[in-house]
Amino acid sequence: MKYWEDFEVGTQLEFGKKTVTEEEIIRYAEKFDPQPFHIDKEAAAEHYYRGIIASGWHTAAMCMRMMVDGYLLDAASNGSPGVEELRWKQPVRPGETLHVKAEVLDRSLPKSRPELGFVKFSHKVFNQDGDLKMTMVSSGMFSRRPSDIKTLEANQ
Amino acid sequence: MSKLYFEDIKIGDKTEFGSKLVTKEEILEFAEEFDPQPFHLDEEAATNSIYGGIIASGWHTGGMLMRMMVDNMVNHRAGLGSPGFDDLRWIRPVRPGDRLRFESTVIEARKSKSRPDMGIIRAQVYLYNQNDEKVFAVKTIGMMKTRP
Repeated sequence: MKYWEDFEVGTQLEFGKKTVTEEEIIRYAEKFDPQPFHIDKEAAAEHYYRGIIASGWHTAAMCMRMMVDGYLLDAASNGSPGVEELRWKQPVRPGETLHVKAEVLDRSLPKSRPELGFVKFSHKVFNQDGDLKMTMVSSGMFSRRPSDIKTLEANQ
Repeated sequence: MSKLYFEDIKIGDKTEFGSKLVTKEEILEFAEEFDPQPFHLDEEAATNSIYGGIIASGWHTGGMLMRMMVDNMVNHRAGLGSPGFDDLRWIRPVRPGDRLRFESTVIEARKSKSRPDMGIIRAQVYLYNQNDEKVFAVKTIGMMKTRP
C-alpha cells in the first residue's frame, strides 16, 4: 500500500493500455455528450474533425480508469479536491491505444487534517504513436502512513 | 431557435437550468467502468471512508455537467469545441438522490488573434445540489464562430 509519504516530488509513473472502440465512444457520448461528431458517423465525416472523435470528458474518464488501475487502487487514496488545468490537445479516435505518463509536481500537508496529505500530479495521455492527446494537472488526497504521522509532525 | 454567435455573448451573461437527479444505479454503473475505487462502488467500504457513504466519481459529475450543457446550451450555439478547462473543484461529494442545478456566468469574451472567424468564451460554472450547496466548480473555455 502506498501512502502520501511514497509520492515524492519528481516521482514518475507510466501506466495504462486502453484501446478505444467506436462503440465505447458512442455509448459514452449518448449518455454524457450527445453532439453529432461524437455519436453520428455521417455527421462526423462532414464535420471538421472528419470522423467520430471521443468526447473530451470521455478521454478524461478513460485517463481516470488508467490512474485507478495504474496506482490509485494500490494507494491509500481518499479522492481528489480537483483539477487545476486540463487541455485536450488532439482528438481521440476509434482504434487508438492510450497510455499515461505521470509525475509528482508538488505535495503538501493541510493543517486541519493530520491524517491526510495532498499530492499534485501532471498526467499526460499519449496514443500508440506517442502523440500527446490530453494534459492534466490535478491533485489527489492520500492517507499518511500511520507510523509516520507523529515523526513528520515532530519535524515540522 | 436561431443559433447564437460569439457576438451574442457578453461578459456577465448568466445561464441557469436544471435539474439532474443522480441515481445510485448511475453512480455504480459509471464507477464500474471508469473509476472503480471503493468509495464509489462498495457500500461498506464507502461508509468507512472519509465520505461516510457512496459518492459519485468526480468524472461522473463532470459528465453530467457536460450533458446538461449539451441539452441546454451547446446545441443553440455556433460552437467550435473546447480546448479544455481550468480550476475544476469537487467542492462537496455528490450522493445518490442529489438533484443538480447548473449556473454559468461569462467571465471573458475575446476574439481569437490567430483566427478572425472565432471567439473565445470563458465562463465560471457551478453545480448546486438540492440544498443550494455548491458541489462542483469549473472555469470552462469555449470557442465560438463569429457572426458570418
